Amino acid sequence: MNIRLSPALRTLLPHRLLALGAVLALMLSACVTQGHLEPTGGTLRHEGQAVVLLMPPDVELSELTVGGLVEPNAEWTAQGLSNVNQALADRMRRRKAAMIPYDAPVGDAGRAHDHQQIMKLHRAVGVSIIQHKYFEPLVLPTKKDVFDWGLGPDVQMLREEYNAQYALFVYLRDSYSSPGRVAMMVAMTVFGYGMPGGAQTGFASLVDLGSGEVVWFNLLLRTTGDLRSPEPAREAIDALLAGFPL
Amino acid sequence: MRRLGSVALLVLACSGCATVGPVEDIQPGERPSLETDEAGLWMYMDRMETALATSGRVVTDPALNAYVRDIVCRLSPDYCRDIRIYIVRTPHFNATMAPNGFMQVWTGLMLRATNEAQLAYVIGHEIGHFQRRHSIQRWRDARNKTDFAAVFQVAAAAAGAGYAGSLASLAAIASILSFSRDQEREADDVGFTTMANAGYDPEQAPRIWEALLEERDASDKPEQVVFFATHPSTEERIGTLREQAQALIAKGAPRDAGAEKYKRIVGPFRDEWLRDEFRKREYAETEVVMNRLLAEERQNGDVLFMKGEFYRIRDESGDEDRAIEAYKAALLGDGAPPETHRSLGLVFWDAGRNDEARASFAEYLRAAPDASDRKMVEAYVKELETPQ
Repeated sequence: MNIRLSPALRTLLPHRLLALGAVLALMLSACVTQGHLEPTGGTLRHEGQAVVLLMPPDVELSELTVGGLVEPNAEWTAQGLSNVNQALADRMRRRKAAMIPYDAPVGDAGRAHDHQQIMKLHRAVGVSIIQHKYFEPLVLPTKKDVFDWGLGPDVQMLREEYNAQYALFVYLRDSYSSPGRVAMMVAMTVFGYGMPGGAQTGFASLVDLGSGEVVWFNLLLRTTGDLRSPEPAREAIDALLAGFPL
Repeated sequence: MRRLGSVALLVLACSGCATVGPVEDIQPGERPSLETDEAGLWMYMDRMETALATSGRVVTDPALNAYVRDIVCRLSPDYCRDIRIYIVRTPHFNATMAPNGFMQVWTGLMLRATNEAQLAYVIGHEIGHFQRRHSIQRWRDARNKTDFAAVFQVAAAAAGAGYAGSLASLAAIASILSFSRDQEREADDVGFTTMANAGYDPEQAPRIWEALLEERDASDKPEQVVFFATHPSTEERIGTLREQAQALIAKGAPRDAGAEKYKRIVGPFRDEWLRDEFRKREYAETEVVMNRLLAEERQNGDVLFMKGEFYRIRDESGDEDRAIEAYKAALLGDGAPPETHRSLGLVFWDAGRNDEARASFAEYLRAAPDASDRKMVEAYVKELETPQ
C-alpha cells in the first residue's frame, strides 16, 4: 500500500504529468520540428493595450542522480519559480503588454476548482499539440496544415474575473546532473557509451480568453540552461517566448 | 570464469553496500526544511495531490468523507490534522499514503471491508507508512542502489563485461523491492497496534487479508491482483496477525467491529461500487466479493438483486437460470429495488420466455410508475405483444 506500486494507481494520478517529462526528454533526441506555432491566418484580436493573465507557471527543478533518477529539488524550484516570474514580468514590461499574475480565489472552493480544471485542460491540450504538431511520426493528417487547438469557451470565466484578454500558460522542467553523474558521463564517453545528462524542457501557450483559442504556442527542448540564476532564467524565458506576439 | 565470479560477487555486494540510515518518526505538524531531498518529494506529491483533488474520480459525499476522517482521528489523534483523505472511485483493493500526508482510500477496499475495524486496520497501516517516513526512506534506498548499479556499469564497461552491468541493475531492482516488503511488515505492525489501541476488534485485521487471499485463489490471473506485487506473502501476514489478535483477546482487549455503522454509511454506495467491479470483467474475483457481501446479509433483497445482475452481465452458460433464481430470491427478501422486475424481464426475454418477460416488465412499471425509462419498457411490452 504505497504510492508507487501499481499500474492501476498510475491511471489515477496525473500520469500525463509524469509521462510529459519523459516524452520531452525523449524528444530531445528525436525527429522534432522546432519553432513556435500560430493559428492559420490568425491575428490577435484586441483593441488598445493587451492585458495578459499569467497563470501560475508550472516549474520544477530536479537533480539527475548518478543512477539516472530525477530527484525533485524544492529549494531550486522555489528559486527557479521566482526567477521565471521575474523574467516574465520584465519581458512583458519591455514589450509594453500589461501582465497580471493569477491569484487563486480565496474562500471560493468552487471557483478555485474550475480554475484548476482549466489548468489541467491546458496541460492536456499542450501535450496533444506537442505530440501531434512537433513530433513528426505522430503528426495527424487532419492537423498537418492547420493549427486550431483551443480550450473552449469556458475560459471566459477568467476573462470576466481578471479582466484580461489573454492567458499565458508556462510549463518548465529543468534538471541538472549531479557531480557524480557528470563524472559518470565523462567515464562512459571514454568507453564509447553515451549517457544523457540534465535537460531544460517546457512549453508555453497564449490563450484568447474570449474564444478559448490557442493563439500562440512554443516548445523548448535543450540540454543547456539554468533556471537557478536570474540571467540564464531570463535567457530561457526569451527562448521560450521566441516569436511571442505581444 | 574468474572474471564472471568476481562480477557475481560485486552484484551480490550491490544489495548490501548501499544501506539507508535509520530515520526518526515524523512529528505532528512537521514539514521538511526546503533544502532537503524530503522537501523535493513533498513538493512533487503536493502537485500530485492538487491534480487528484479536482479529479472526477474522487468521491465527495460529505457523510462518507467525514466517516473516514473520523476513523483516522480515532486511530491517530496526533496525525489527524496532518493527513488528508481522498476516497477514490476505483474497483481495486488498495489504499496509498504519500509522504506529505495525502492518503487515498480506494472504493474497492471499502467495498471489500465488511466492517469499520477492517477498514481501520488498513488505514492504520497507511498511517504507519506516514509515521515511519517510508517514502523518503524508499527513495533514498532506490537512489543509493541505482547509483551503485550505475557505477558498477561503468566498471563493467571498463572491464569489457557489459552484461554484468545489466545484472547489477536487476540486483538493484530486486533489492529495492525487498526493502519495500520490509516496510510493509513494519506498517502492518503499526496498523495492527494502532487499531487495537483504538479499541477495534483485533480479530478483524487478519480477516481483510483472508478475504483478499480468497479472491486471489479464485482468480484466473492471480498476478493481476495488483496488491501482491510489493507486499509480503499474505499467508505470512495472516498467521502473524491471528496470533497477535488471539493474544490480545485473551487479555480482554475490546472487540468493537463497528459493523452496523459501517453498513449504514457505506451501504448506500455498495451497488455503484459493485457495478464498477463488474466492469473489470474479472468475474471470478467479483463473484468472491459478492458472495462475501451476501454471507453478511442473506435476506438483503438489494444484494440478491446485484447477484442477479452479476450473472446477467457475465452471461456464461447457466447464468440465465442463476440470474432468474437470484432475482426471485431478491423479491422474496427485504428491500429489492423495482429494477429487479425489469432485469427479470430482460432475462426472461432473452430466454424466449416472453409471457413471463411481459409480466415482469408490467410489474416493473407498476412498482416504479415514474421510472425515467418508462417509454422504453412500454415499447418492450408492445414488442412482446406483437405476434412474431
